[in-house]
Amino acid sequence: MSSVEDILAAENELTHLLGAQQAVVLSTRIRLARNLDGLPFPGWAKVPQRKEISDRCVEALDALPNFRRGHVLRMGELGDRDRAVLVERHLVSKELAAGKSGAAVISRDQTCSVMVNEEDHLRIQVVKAGWHLRGTWHIAEQLDDALGGSLKLAFSDRLGYLTACPTNVGTGLRASAMVHLPGLCLAGHMDKVSRALNQDGLAVRGWLGEGTEAAGNVFQISNQQTLGLSEDAILKHLGGWIKNVVEQEWNARRRLAQEEGEKFTDRLARSLGVLRSARLLTSSEAMNMLSHLRLACDMGCLPEERRHLVDRLMIEGQPAHVQARAGQELDSDGRDRRRATVVREALKDFPEVVPPTA
Amino acid sequence: MSQPIKCSLCEEAATVHLSQVVHGNVTKVHLCEACAQKGGATDPAVFQLADALTTASPAPTLTCPKCGFTDIDFRKRGRLGCPSCWETFGDVLGGLLLKVQHEASHVGRTPAGTPPTGQLRRRLDAARLEMEKAIASEDYESAARLRDEVAGLEKQLAPS
Repeated sequence: MSSVEDILAAENELTHLLGAQQAVVLSTRIRLARNLDGLPFPGWAKVPQRKEISDRCVEALDALPNFRRGHVLRMGELGDRDRAVLVERHLVSKELAAGKSGAAVISRDQTCSVMVNEEDHLRIQVVKAGWHLRGTWHIAEQLDDALGGSLKLAFSDRLGYLTACPTNVGTGLRASAMVHLPGLCLAGHMDKVSRALNQDGLAVRGWLGEGTEAAGNVFQISNQQTLGLSEDAILKHLGGWIKNVVEQEWNARRRLAQEEGEKFTDRLARSLGVLRSARLLTSSEAMNMLSHLRLACDMGCLPEERRHLVDRLMIEGQPAHVQARAGQELDSDGRDRRRATVVREALKDFPEVVPPTA
Repeated sequence: MSQPIKCSLCEEAATVHLSQVVHGNVTKVHLCEACAQKGGATDPAVFQLADALTTASPAPTLTCPKCGFTDIDFRKRGRLGCPSCWETFGDVLGGLLLKVQHEASHVGRTPAGTPPTGQLRRRLDAARLEMEKAIASEDYESAARLRDEVAGLEKQLAPS
């Protein structure tokens, strides 16, 4: 079994009901950019230097208890599909997957993953299902301290952690929440919310990060400023806004449910109907209808304990996941057919959608 | 076969070719798919990119002694070569940092085992200000306490 197959087969917080799934916030993520002192950044390093960086970082990471019985994946040794699966799971970025000299060290429970030789030597990532900003931060902080103990990191008193790009220097911290905002989208308020967040220094991106569209009404909200603010201030700022957005999302949902009445329930019920009987499902169609099911679970239209299954289908309905499950390369029609089958199977014993109680 | 034209911004093969005529001077820009998208080649604003390219000085004026990275490389990539580049290009980057980060100095964590100099320095600046205010408002008790704190911080920050 390849490591990537292992990762697909393993139960983890985001795809199984191991952590507490929550309404609105799908997951919390902390990313820290770090570099080794005295070595060029990956984008400027020569091949042997990149090898040295990779060897030193992987060795240090491998020794940490967080990664015991975890995975060390070198991009150059993986096939296209395996790399695409890792990108779809947010375990590595598209940039890392595109190069040959990158590696990813992933903890057994897939909560911690460190990208080596991406834009920076080290990109530490910690992801928890639901909204757990402090808890996620503490794991990242502890990992950072452990790494700083075994590697000499590039740091300046004045500028903090030195990174390849000026947009990351200082704390190197990018904190984000993956939020599901069907209420604000349906009500047509998302542009306004996005603008308000941008104006206060937060970035709003789609499901797969930079430059992607928001399939399934899922957005990633993160801080932009990394310098001149303490980690604590960055987390507080993001946390305050997420709380605000979650509140606004609930208001929009309640208003919609109230104003639309039966139409609201009908929309969700139709999506379940299509997902349960379609023979061909494109990835964006699946995402948008699964978004309705998630909304239904949050609003009491479907049992809340089914939400984790919806979350899992959102992840496993992506193209590379569908092919990996099928164990073969599929053309676009083949993927749509296979995706429809997986979704149909999963929703077979779903109860009917009832009017909202939330 | 002739060599494919390279993208003006990176090393990829260029597939998008643009020309601009200003006062009879023709400027040509060749871009790869990715850079063209980034620069928004589909809208006229791409010519801002062309302007940036043609006004860029051809010879580097600064080179990092540690890794050989130049200011021209930075202009092309928007990324630095190595940690030492931050010192080499400090003056150039200072203005840019204020633009993208709105701040110029770090106040966050330090690597394990490194004294938190940035935080101490920030507290020192704040304590000095508070002390001046306390003196101005004739709150000598607070001023004395702050004077001791300032002295303590200065001692901690003094090179040992």
